[in-house]
Amino acid sequence: MKVIISVIVILAFVATSSANLQCEHAKPNIPTEWIDMVKPCVKKMRAQIQTELEASIQYLAMGAHFSRDKINRPGFAKFFFQAASEERQHALKLISYLLMRGELTSNVSKLIKKTIVPPIVSWTSGVDALKDALRLEAKVTKDIRGVIEECEDPKEEEGNGYNDYHLVDHLTGEFLEEQYKGQRELAGKISNLEKMMDEHKALGEFMFDKKLLDEL
Amino acid sequence: MKLLFVCCTILAAAFAATGDECYKDSVRVCKSVLKDNKKDKKDFSLPSCSAKYGAILEMLPELQQYVNSHITRNFEYMLMATHYGNYEKSREGFEKIFMDLSDSKWDTAIDLIKYITKRGGEMKFDNIKADTVNDENASYELYELNSLAKALDMEKELAERAHLIHGQATRRRENLHDPEVSSYIENKFVHHHAETIRKLSGYTSDLTSLLSGPDSSLALYIFDDYLKKQSIV
Ligand SMILES: [Fe+2]
Repeated sequence: MKVIISVIVILAFVATSSANLQCEHAKPNIPTEWIDMVKPCVKKMRAQIQTELEASIQYLAMGAHFSRDKINRPGFAKFFFQAASEERQHALKLISYLLMRGELTSNVSKLIKKTIVPPIVSWTSGVDALKDALRLEAKVTKDIRGVIEECEDPKEEEGNGYNDYHLVDHLTGEFLEEQYKGQRELAGKISNLEKMMDEHKALGEFMFDKKLLDEL
Repeated sequence: MKLLFVCCTILAAAFAATGDECYKDSVRVCKSVLKDNKKDKKDFSLPSCSAKYGAILEMLPELQQYVNSHITRNFEYMLMATHYGNYEKSREGFEKIFMDLSDSKWDTAIDLIKYITKRGGEMKFDNIKADTVNDENASYELYELNSLAKALDMEKELAERAHLIHGQATRRRENLHDPEVSSYIENKFVHHHAETIRKLSGYTSDLTSLLSGPDSSLALYIFDDYLKKQSIV
């Protein structure tokens, strides 16, 4: 009788233990000496991800505006939709960088705000939107410089003086490079368009729009 | 004779109501150019020449919210992918499928905006469905099975919303009929959703049985490796 009971108990135990799903696993024990980014620099980088996404949504609003039937500037729309996706890629590139450096193991859920409402949603003309875009890029450039400064010579106590050579080089060589090239491109477009519109307002923008559509 | 005249008038009125409003607008603005020569005070707008027709006007709020939900989902999947990309989780397969889902939500959001404007509407980014962002403190750092389950829920919600829009465009509300909207929803959403939902559901079944085995860590490693080669969208 005792044997039967113990067999039943054992069977029941086996049954329940195998019915238990092991969904959670312990954190692995990995040396952390290689993780050398300092807090103030990480904080700035995390904020920059949100900045890039906000730029992305602002461009999305520009794309939406120029797609409207009453506006009908498909070239501008295409240009701004592409810019929106590029900004999103910048955010993803920053995320990849932090992951490569061993960051983003915690507090990931708070990294991005789940909704972004663009501050501006309509423009009086194509050149008006391009000017806004150039201002936006200049602001982003300034923000990236802010990240670089913090990561080159962190002022807060937690990272006092720790120069993050690689990140500074990466931001300077890849991100600033793209910022300056992009800004020059926008400035050139504004210049051409504004000169064309001086004498031929509607026709100038119409032609510029079709040119954008062909070029992109 | 009188009767015929009345009939003609009624017909003409009906025609005017549906047929030539844009034309009338165009005549009005052309005349206004000839009449007054004051340069600033001209109204050149053609309110009746928009691309709107059918039931698009009534569908717009729903479509705008649908775009905003896609943008939000794109961010949420981005966070889930990021979590699996860190060195502690180190699950490339999970990272990949969530990033694919994020990319797909983003591309769809742009596509939807283009569609709204194609039908004469405008996009409103502040028209956000109240319960889309139900919890500011929601966690996207989930264990493998839970993350697949969450993705499945999110995809089903988007699928049901597509059905709702489709239903509204198909005379669920009286006088609302817009086969172009329902066709767009079918071709761009309905079939894709079915694929993705079936795949995610299959993954949760597989992973559930794998995790009940003797070595769930190894099972996860192998399943993650399998996910690397899968396309979810
Ligand atoms: Fe950027």
